[in-house]
Amino acid sequence: MPNNSTSNQVRLGLFVVVGVGCLLVVLYLLGRQQNLFQSSVPVQADFRNVSGLLKGNNVRLGGITVGTVKDITILNDTTVRVQMNLNQDVQRFVRRNAVASIGTDGLVGNTIINLTAGPGAAPAVQAGDVLPTSEQASLDAMLATLNISNQNLVGITSGLRQVTDKLNNSEALWQLLSNEQLPADVRRSAQNAAAASAQLAAAATDVRQLTAGVRRGQGPLGYLLTDDAFANQIGHAARQLAGTSDTLAVTLNGLQRQLQRGGGPVQTLLTDTTAARQLRQTLRNTAQSTAKLNESMTALQHNFLLRGYFRRQAREEARLAACAAARRARDSARLRE
Amino acid sequence: MSPGTLPQPAAAPAPRNAEVVLTLEHISKSFGDNHVLRDFSLELHRGENVVVLGKSGSGKSVLVKCMIGLLRPDAGRITVLGQDISTLDHEEMDQLRARLGFLFQSNALYDSMTVRENLVFPLRRQWLADRRDQEADLVQQALEDVGLADTANKLPAELSGGQRKRIALARTLILQPEIILYDEPTTGLDPITAREISALIRQVQQKYNTAAFIISHDMDSVRLVADRVALLAEGGCYAQGTYEELARHEDPRVHDFFT
Amino acid sequence: MFSSPFLAETGAIAQFAGRFFREGFRPRYEVREFFHQCYVVGYQSLPMVGITGFIMGLVLTLQSQPTMAKFGAEAWVPTMVGLTIIREMGPIITALVFAGKIGSSIGAELGSMRVTEQIDAMEVSGTNPFKYLVVTRVLATTLMLPLLTVLADGIGLYASYVGINTQGTTTLALFINNVLSGLTFAEVLPAFFKTFFFGFAVGLVGCYKGYHATKGTAGVGAAANSAVVVSSLLIFILDLLAVQITGLLGFN
Ligand SMILES: Nc1ncnc2c1ncn2[C@@H]1O[C@H](COP(=O)(O)OP(=O)(O)OP(=O)(O)O)[C@@H](O)[C@H]1O
Ligand SMILES: [Mg+2]
Repeated sequence: MPNNSTSNQVRLGLFVVVGVGCLLVVLYLLGRQQNLFQSSVPVQADFRNVSGLLKGNNVRLGGITVGTVKDITILNDTTVRVQMNLNQDVQRFVRRNAVASIGTDGLVGNTIINLTAGPGAAPAVQAGDVLPTSEQASLDAMLATLNISNQNLVGITSGLRQVTDKLNNSEALWQLLSNEQLPADVRRSAQNAAAASAQLAAAATDVRQLTAGVRRGQGPLGYLLTDDAFANQIGHAARQLAGTSDTLAVTLNGLQRQLQRGGGPVQTLLTDTTAARQLRQTLRNTAQSTAKLNESMTALQHNFLLRGYFRRQAREEARLAACAAARRARDSARLRE
Repeated sequence: MSPGTLPQPAAAPAPRNAEVVLTLEHISKSFGDNHVLRDFSLELHRGENVVVLGKSGSGKSVLVKCMIGLLRPDAGRITVLGQDISTLDHEEMDQLRARLGFLFQSNALYDSMTVRENLVFPLRRQWLADRRDQEADLVQQALEDVGLADTANKLPAELSGGQRKRIALARTLILQPEIILYDEPTTGLDPITAREISALIRQVQQKYNTAAFIISHDMDSVRLVADRVALLAEGGCYAQGTYEELARHEDPRVHDFFT
Repeated sequence: MFSSPFLAETGAIAQFAGRFFREGFRPRYEVREFFHQCYVVGYQSLPMVGITGFIMGLVLTLQSQPTMAKFGAEAWVPTMVGLTIIREMGPIITALVFAGKIGSSIGAELGSMRVTEQIDAMEVSGTNPFKYLVVTRVLATTLMLPLLTVLADGIGLYASYVGINTQGTTTLALFINNVLSGLTFAEVLPAFFKTFFFGFAVGLVGCYKGYHATKGTAGVGAAANSAVVVSSLLIFILDLLAVQITGLLGFN
């Protein structure tokens, strides 16, 4: 007969309570996560392809999980019906025209359903509603982005070309600019812009070819992701563009300051001649181009295909800078000796 | 237990005509090729002490284990308190065992329990809750009977061999069984304690009119406790009679035990 | 006739299990002894199980962190470690530690009770030793191992949280969210239920080996030893079965 003292019983009781408590807490949290304890609104959507969606996958609205996939059934050879349970408390935010699309949670994550608000007003969804769907395969989405970047590039290139042409050909401007420094600046900018636009044009062609290739099914996504030459080219072009836009900005600032500040013959001459109008137009064009260029640059840098390249580039630069700094430090140390 | 209260040895007459409480009929038991018991028969009457003698390894322990149901004989019938034990299921056997006491040759004390818990164990097993209040008294009484009142809170490992034997005896007696089977109750004890234990066995017999089946090599003790002596040899009951009858027996196999 | 010690042993253990189910759920119920065994088997194993759980969580985290960092997936460490601990490592390591600690002690305890005739003495005292010794222990291991596993999982996850915080920082809330995000009922419940079987195996094998110990002290040692060996093996086999069955039920 074991001496079953009360303190032992208390300890055993504590042990059991804590153990069972832990289990219950986990089960409760899981249940809450899967919305077992919340009443939900069932809605449906029909897709052609659900890309490996599973029961229990999340449904997101604006990036926030608002429900789960309850069931997936094949209706016919081209239609898959997905039944979703939306949490009761978000029902009023999901409109009847919200568009359901299949997406992924990160590059390697779970398949999810994204709900995006449709255009225009609509009443909140009710139980049993069938939501409209948009099927944009992720590859297509990617290519679309690339295409837009490409179009931007083309646009900018032609813009730049115009600007440079105008700058170069505007006799009045060159005559008017008596300042020694400014014309040189402008000229250099114009040259830079011209070079950049040429490179940009090449890059744009490349991108167009690639996009077309991928679309035709020739160039797999992997090619895009791994082809360093292409990334290099785009990167180079982008760097050139960045440099150009900086120079252009500086030049423009200088020009503008001169125009506004400077009294004397320039100012008077410029007030209402065609040359002046032309010059202003040119300046405006240049400013717009620069802004667009910057925009395009950001887009390019955020395009995940090129993200890796830019990151590597940044690291490389940092390394080089560090090396240079170290070398400088060494040299100066040697000098001091 | 004080020496003054010791009953006089061999005072009780053998109650030959009393009710039979335990019958062994043609018991056989073998372990593989080792035929330990062959056609052993014996009867035990109420209020009678029967001592079984036999050489070491002759199968005495096997015999008593058959009686209590720890071993199943290969052949023969064992009737305890009117019930054929081979026909009993587990529950009925437990009920029957509550009326039997068994002292193991190896003591078999529960070594994870203190002496008190060892004694309480059979009590709790057999009793209903309303008798719980007598527990402490009974334990105290049983320990005093074997002269070890101060060991209640010790573990068996802390006791000497003789003390353990006495605690085992106390555990056997505490339920006041109707039939007690003692497997070598005095082995390993000093002569004085051995005599005290023998006296205790007598005392229990007279007080509760119990029947006892005692295995012993200790002829001193045999003389004190035996109403009847049986000799186990060659797997059977070789001879039986009172101590005096067997002591005067001509057969050397019998005679040798008494010299 | 064809005879094999392995098959004979398997048959005997199965028979022993059958006896457990026949006798275990009929009165009389050894409630006090059962609670005592729960205390011994459960509460007193907690330090051991807790320490192994802590180390398991810490090591898993520290080991996987560099690899995950290489793939830029450091944020996935809590999810991955949580999944690993709750689904597999927690149950299996706790069960193995449990088999080592409790299986051997049950084997040795019952074995020595057997060879010193204490089990016979119980039987003679009108106690069914099978109910008193075996049923209580098997029930206790069956019910306590799941609890120990839950606690070990908890401790292991906490250790993982500590491990992550040695390399960077994360809040407990984020950590818990990350862990939970990788879990579903289909992962937690089978992992939890299989520990009942692990506990049953440990208790049953320990009791079987001890209850049928022979040949004196050497037999006690052999009983303790083979209790651990056989129950560890059984745990792995059961784990394999659990994977198959949950797979069949479509939980994987
Ligand atoms: N469980 C068992 N398995 C196999 N053989 C056994 C078993 N129990 C007893 N035996 C054998 O039965 C025979 C009788 O043993 P038992 O213990 O009855 O002797 P004993 O007469 O009590 O001897 P002792 O006076 O030394 O106690 C021995 O030869 C022993 O080897
Ligand atoms: Mg013997």
